[in-house]
Parts: sequence; structure tokens; C-alpha cells
Amino acid sequence: MPYDAMSDRSDEDLLTAYAAGEPAAARALTLRLAPRAFAQAMRMLRDRAEAEDVAQEALVRLWRAAPGWRTGEAQVTTWLYRVVSNLCIDRIRRRRGGTVDIAAVDEPPDPAPGVERAMLDDARADALETALEALPERQKQAVVLRHLEGLSNPEIAAIMDIGVRAVESLTARGRKALEGLLAGKRAELGYDED
Amino acid sequence: MTKTDRAGTEEGLLAPWFDAARDAEPLPDGDWMARMEALALAEQPSARPVPETRAAARRGGWRDILGGLGGWPAMAGLAAACAAGVWIGVAAPEGSMSTLLPVSAGDGVSGLEPASGFDYVMAGL
Repeated sequence: MPYDAMSDRSDEDLLTAYAAGEPAAARALTLRLAPRAFAQAMRMLRDRAEAEDVAQEALVRLWRAAPGWRTGEAQVTTWLYRVVSNLCIDRIRRRRGGTVDIAAVDEPPDPAPGVERAMLDDARADALETALEALPERQKQAVVLRHLEGLSNPEIAAIMDIGVRAVESLTARGRKALEGLLAGKRAELGYDED
Repeated sequence: MTKTDRAGTEEGLLAPWFDAARDAEPLPDGDWMARMEALALAEQPSARPVPETRAAARRGGWRDILGGLGGWPAMAGLAAACAAGVWIGVAAPEGSMSTLLPVSAGDGVSGLEPASGFDYVMAGL
């Protein structure tokens, strides 16, 4: 349940109100959707400026689609995730000339007492996100939506425009590849002590 | 956003890595959020009470025509004249016309006019 000033209203209801010119709906939807779009783009691109651009572009498309939005046809969040995903994939394809090297992840620094755990977690998150960069784009997209955004397989299937079985296959292959990529980091990042 | 239970069971050895990444959720900064709100408002269509506007436009058109004819009293007179014309043309019996035109077809124009055209000229009318 979204937690904002209009939390009793669905995304779709707010989008209808947005199209009818209700300023409060514009504010509530921005508060609700912009952080999600940004987080998804950031996880896919790992670049704040690019993630901001992508999220902004996706939101502008949503605002422009609002007057012609057909109620009941698609969930607003599903639509937005799809647009963000596609924009991210376009950018990843453009930049894919470069190589991704999991070994290049910074070594965890010598931690000061008390902040050790937090720094270790940051290093782990960073290692995972670097490993995600090495996955084929569709696998990465499916893994991010499933394991970081927490969506269900049918939701991901709708976003990626594929079947649920195909989503399961993509996420399974993605996880297997990640295990391989992160295997060498387990001892280094303290997982053998967990 | 909540992670489904099943996704958790799928994660296996990767679960602590995903946990760390989920905890480190990237957050947008305040300036960007403010820009997004301004953008949403700038892109928003203006309020549009469409049905009322169209109805008002239709009412305005009829009002103009009615005003041009002289308002409701003029319309009532026009309607009465129309009805009388239809009645005279369609339903009135022959006898009743004689009360309105007390002349016969054979009387000619002089039967209708008490004075001749010459009389009018001479009188300077």
C-alpha cells in the first residue's frame, strides 16, 4: 500500500485525476512513482545521472499517456517498470562496448569498529551490482525485477512481454551466473563467516 | 516494496547478497524529486469540465437566437400566429372566411377598396 497523502487511492485512480487536472494527484503520483523509477534505473545502470535521466523520461511518458489511459488495461507500475526497463536496456546496449570485470570491485576497506558491518554490506551490495552488470541484459532485467524490486513472476512477464516460464528460466540462469561470478568474493566479503 | 516469499526461497546462497543490495536501495535526491514534481505539474493537462462547457455553449447559441427574435413574448406571438395560419389554411370551414372577407370573388379589387386609386392621388395621399 503506497504511503502518501492520497494512500487510499490507487495509482490508476490518481492517474485519471491527473489527466483531469488535479494538482494533488500530480504530487502524489510523483512521490509514489519517481523513487521507484529511479531505484530501478539506478540498479540497472549504476550511474546516478543516467538513472535520473531515464526515470525522468519514463515519467514524462507516463504524464503524456495519462489523458489516453485506458482503465483496467495495464497497471500503472507495470507500465512504468516496462518503460524504465526498455530505456535502461537501450542505454546498456549503447555502452556495452566496455567490459565488466568482477575482479575490479573495490576491496572492502579496513573497517573501523562499529561501522564494520555496514561497510561490509555496502561492499557486498556493490559486488552484487557489479556482477549484475556482467549478465546478459534480459537476465539482468529479470533478476533485478524479481530479487531487488520484489515483483512476482507474472508481473515481470507482463513488464518484459514474455511468458512466466520464460521469466523463471531467465531468473534461474541469472542466479546461476551470479553464483559463479560471486564465488570468488565469498571469503573476501565475509560470507564464509555468516 | 515487499519481496515475495517464493523469491526468497529461490535465492539460496545468493540470499545474503540480495539482502545487502535490497538494503542499499538507491534513493533519489531532493532536488531531483522537486524537479520531477514541477515537471509533472507542467505536463499536466489543465482542468477540463468538458460536459458543462459543451452544454453551456449549446445554451448560449439558442439564447442568441431567442434574443434576436424579441425574447419569449415574441416567441409566444409567433407560435400563435403560426397556429392560426395553419388553422385557416387547413381546417377553417368556408363560411367562416366570409366574416373576415365580406366580399365575393366577383367583386374585383374595387369591392375590397372603398376608395379608388384616383381618389387617393387626388387627396394627395
